[in-house]
Amino acid sequence: MRLYLRSRRVPAALAGAVAGVAGLWTLWSVFSDSREVGVQLVVLTVLLSVIALTATLGGPDDELDRTAAFRWLPRRLAHLAAAFLVVVLPLLATLATGARFGPAWLVARDAAGLLGLTALGAAALGVGRAWFLPLGWTLAATLFPRSEPVLGRILTWQAQPRVSAAAAVTAGLLAVCGLLAYAVAGPARRAPAEAAQR
Amino acid sequence: MSRVLRIELRRSAALGSALILLAVGTLLLFFVDRSVFTTGWMQLAMTQRLYLAVLWPLALAAGAWQGRREHRTNVTELFASTPRSRAHRAVPTLLAMALAVVAGYLAMGIAGGAWIAGTARYLPASVFAVLAVGVLALVAAVWLGLAAGRLLPSPATAPALGLAGLGVLLLLPGATRPHGWLALVFSPIYEMNLPDAYTTVPGRASVAQAVWLAALAVTAVLLVVSGGWRLRVAALLPVVLGAAVAIAAMPRDNRYVIDAVDPVARELVCAHDDPRVCVSRVHAGLLAEVVPPARAALTVLAPLPSPPTQVHEDTTTYVPARYPPWHDDVVLLRVDAGSDGHLANRDLVLAEVVAGAFAGPADCDHLAGPDEKMAAAYWLIGRAPATPGAVALWQNLRQRPEGEARARVVALRRAALGCTVQDGQLTR
Repeated sequence: MRLYLRSRRVPAALAGAVAGVAGLWTLWSVFSDSREVGVQLVVLTVLLSVIALTATLGGPDDELDRTAAFRWLPRRLAHLAAAFLVVVLPLLATLATGARFGPAWLVARDAAGLLGLTALGAAALGVGRAWFLPLGWTLAATLFPRSEPVLGRILTWQAQPRVSAAAAVTAGLLAVCGLLAYAVAGPARRAPAEAAQR
Repeated sequence: MSRVLRIELRRSAALGSALILLAVGTLLLFFVDRSVFTTGWMQLAMTQRLYLAVLWPLALAAGAWQGRREHRTNVTELFASTPRSRAHRAVPTLLAMALAVVAGYLAMGIAGGAWIAGTARYLPASVFAVLAVGVLALVAAVWLGLAAGRLLPSPATAPALGLAGLGVLLLLPGATRPHGWLALVFSPIYEMNLPDAYTTVPGRASVAQAVWLAALAVTAVLLVVSGGWRLRVAALLPVVLGAAVAIAAMPRDNRYVIDAVDPVARELVCAHDDPRVCVSRVHAGLLAEVVPPARAALTVLAPLPSPPTQVHEDTTTYVPARYPPWHDDVVLLRVDAGSDGHLANRDLVLAEVVAGAFAGPADCDHLAGPDEKMAAAYWLIGRAPATPGAVALWQNLRQRPEGEARARVVALRRAALGCTVQDGQLTR
């Protein structure tokens, strides 16, 4: 287990995610008078944590991993579930402090959707490229959210208010698809030469 | 050199970056709010600049991704052993990535331009300055990304840099308040939202921004080719110098771009034959769509004593407050482009021109209300108005004998021109 965590560079990713949240929490506490953190910053904080954890979705040599006599499916499911908790728990902890990264449902929805998206990216494009889509999509959606028509709520689901059903369904779909694709297929295979060079 | 560049264009992240910028930019242009940029070329150029809020961080991330390539493929030591200098080896990558972001940004402009090419006529030189600053911003961003990717070759560099770039753009206005002009120097997206029809970006603002971005690009190049700390410290010089020159060149006016009005764009352009119908130069492409309903409205108004004989576009701007000259025989009409580039609310133009005959000079204290104007206008046209308040007044007019109703409508126009409209003028 410890070897697995080390091979996935989990300590560095955990440190990055927690440091990111702590840094933004400090920034907001110092520079803002409001207790409720702006929605844009909440979404971007979730994105930062998700991207930090993306690197743990693959090891140094995925081909070698595949030959191990593990049951990968439950292990990958547990990995994503743990990643979800790592994203959500620090933000939930801030709800008890002076700079509240909330509401909780929005944090959970965005964390699940973005983790699903990045897992989907890891399964399709490889771990190194998995952050492309979450980053580009979320930047555009948080800066220019649309609430009309329904297609707008679906395309900018990250920044929709807590009550939006369309956003919740989109995030749920992405989460389920990403979870299944990654759990079943694992990170995308690279050419062996490229894998050796990482 | 061109052969190396061609290979680099194919083998680097250049093509992907260009396509991503084009796709994201075009989606934003057409999906967020089309009517923002359909007025004309200046509005398109400024809207593209606004969407740099997304494209600029993406260019940073793309550069950082590409900058990590040598480290990712474990060839840093191998390449260092070749007899070519770092600078020599970096030039094709720098050129390829710069070409990619420029092509992506210009292609996004072409996509927007194709949408408005049929209706946009007025193309001032400042449009190209706005476009050039946008291009320069992306080139500086992608080169800065290359430098960061080379100096900090970690898998997290690219996405983290993208997020940091967005953070800088979002925090600049707050960090520089109340000196808005400082944000205008350093942020290519500042004051580019919701451009007005007669808006422009003053040349001095574009020059100051270009100086800053060019300095940033030079610093990035120095960092990319640097092999040791000496050159890296020296790379600070251009960026400091550029910031100083840009700050000196930018006028110390807050809201410098928002308050800017292009007098040439506001000038009237008229249809050839009588009766005269004129729109502002920026709306010249809509003249053919304005003329038929405007002339039909003048025909409706003709039975009034001393009727209006011309229709001009209402070129009022509220910041700064400037009003078109007032003539009793000219009806003013607000002209706006819709999300398809053509005249917005085409069905309402006839009624708006007729109602415009019951407006008064801008400095009046006693003007006719919108419901009264619409009721009188629709009484002249002979149809029911759409707004409930106007319908009540219109029915009141219709229940009166023809002659009395006409006298009231004529009295409303006379009172409006003389600034003496009283409450309930139409029905009392």
